[in-house]
Amino acid sequence: MGTLAAAQPLLIGLLLLWSSYGKFADPKQAERTALPRLVGETRAITAYRGVAGIEALVALGLLLPPVWTVEALAAVALAAGFTGFLIYSKIVVPEASCGCMKASARPVGARAIARALLLLATAVMAATATTGWWSAGAGVLVLVVEAAAFAMLSAELDRYWLLPLRRFRIGLSHPYAGTASDDTPLAATQRRVLLSPAYRAVDGLLRSDIHDYWDDEDWRFVSYAARYDGRRATAVFAVPHRDSTPESIRVAVVDEEGLTLYRPTVLAAVG
Amino acid sequence: MTTTMDRRSLLTRAALGATGLVAASAMGSLAPEAAFAAQSPDAGQPDPNFAEGVITGRNQDLLQVQGSDGRLHRIQLTGVTSVWKLRPTTIDQARIGDGLYARGVLLPDGILAAEAIWVNIVNLTVAITAIGRNGVQFDHHGQKVVGHVQSGTTAAVYNGTPAVSDLSMLKVGRHAQVIGAWRPGTNEIDIATIYTSN
Repeated sequence: MGTLAAAQPLLIGLLLLWSSYGKFADPKQAERTALPRLVGETRAITAYRGVAGIEALVALGLLLPPVWTVEALAAVALAAGFTGFLIYSKIVVPEASCGCMKASARPVGARAIARALLLLATAVMAATATTGWWSAGAGVLVLVVEAAAFAMLSAELDRYWLLPLRRFRIGLSHPYAGTASDDTPLAATQRRVLLSPAYRAVDGLLRSDIHDYWDDEDWRFVSYAARYDGRRATAVFAVPHRDSTPESIRVAVVDEEGLTLYRPTVLAAVG
Repeated sequence: MTTTMDRRSLLTRAALGATGLVAASAMGSLAPEAAFAAQSPDAGQPDPNFAEGVITGRNQDLLQVQGSDGRLHRIQLTGVTSVWKLRPTTIDQARIGDGLYARGVLLPDGILAAEAIWVNIVNLTVAITAIGRNGVQFDHHGQKVVGHVQSGTTAAVYNGTPAVSDLSMLKVGRHAQVIGAWRPGTNEIDIATIYTSN
């Protein structure tokens, strides 16, 4: 237990240095946290830098000799402060990000609070240490496990291990492996229609978005509400499934009684 | 339904050129300028022919809509109104609590006669954070959004090529743009089209 406690300052020190560096490197992050609400808009960045400075001081105190219990107590106070701040921001400003280690827009979640609690626990343990981490011996090995726990609780690090893991898992068997089909999605048809000469010929007449669509043998049909000569009408496009040229798309404008009012014949002649 | 079928078969024949043309002289009025000559909104003023908001009431086909700017709209749907709700659908699909965008013609009595409405439509830029059987998880600027795949409707566009129904090329970690229909009151959407790279 003695060596375990003695090893903790090494981990806490490195974590606080990382955290402090992240805050100094990008102080604008302060705006995304709950700090503006807590200390006021104008003082948020100063407060953020202040926290970073304290973190750096405590970190250096823990990492460098001599071993003073007051250093660990400062870390306890800091960790308790973080935990309290995160719970405050989760309750008062739910959309605020943590601003803990690194640039992240992710709002404070259970993981961020769990990480702060873990830091608090390690700091409390460090307060019982009587020797420095450099004489902790095998106790340092436990830090590997703790560091892994910190990494898993850090949303900032997900892309280095969690996303590759998920990518690997999906590479083995993709949940949507069976979705390929010969059916043409409406989005594909719509895009073909929009790029066709037929659409250009009637564009100014169309009044609505796609009103109806259906398939009939080798064609897909898409209808729009239209106005022609001040009258209500329907513009219907015929899109062949087999011929992908833009010129193969035909269009007709049909009135309410079913009479064909307009059909650009030059386009239709191609088919 | 029969009338829909009749109308479809009529339109099918018309589009394929199986029916004769009437009004051969109508070519003259085809100039796009004629169609665009309709009133355009004054600069700096809200477009009178557009409305957005949440449906707060529905009386037959007249919708009451509360705009996000606080304005109240009355929107009349008709048989020729195009309704998008994940896919082109029918006017009865617009429900209280749904969000919508509507475009049409503002009538003198203040009612917007809708020519097209889009219900619950969202356009999100996201990163794909997980893919599972019950949905695709997105990170939308820090916010978690779950996208549901609707078989037969959901389409994917990879690298700008034509849309396909094959979603097996979606990859965790990629950025994507998603057009979908929001499920009101949740952080979930149904995916209409997802644009990404493969």
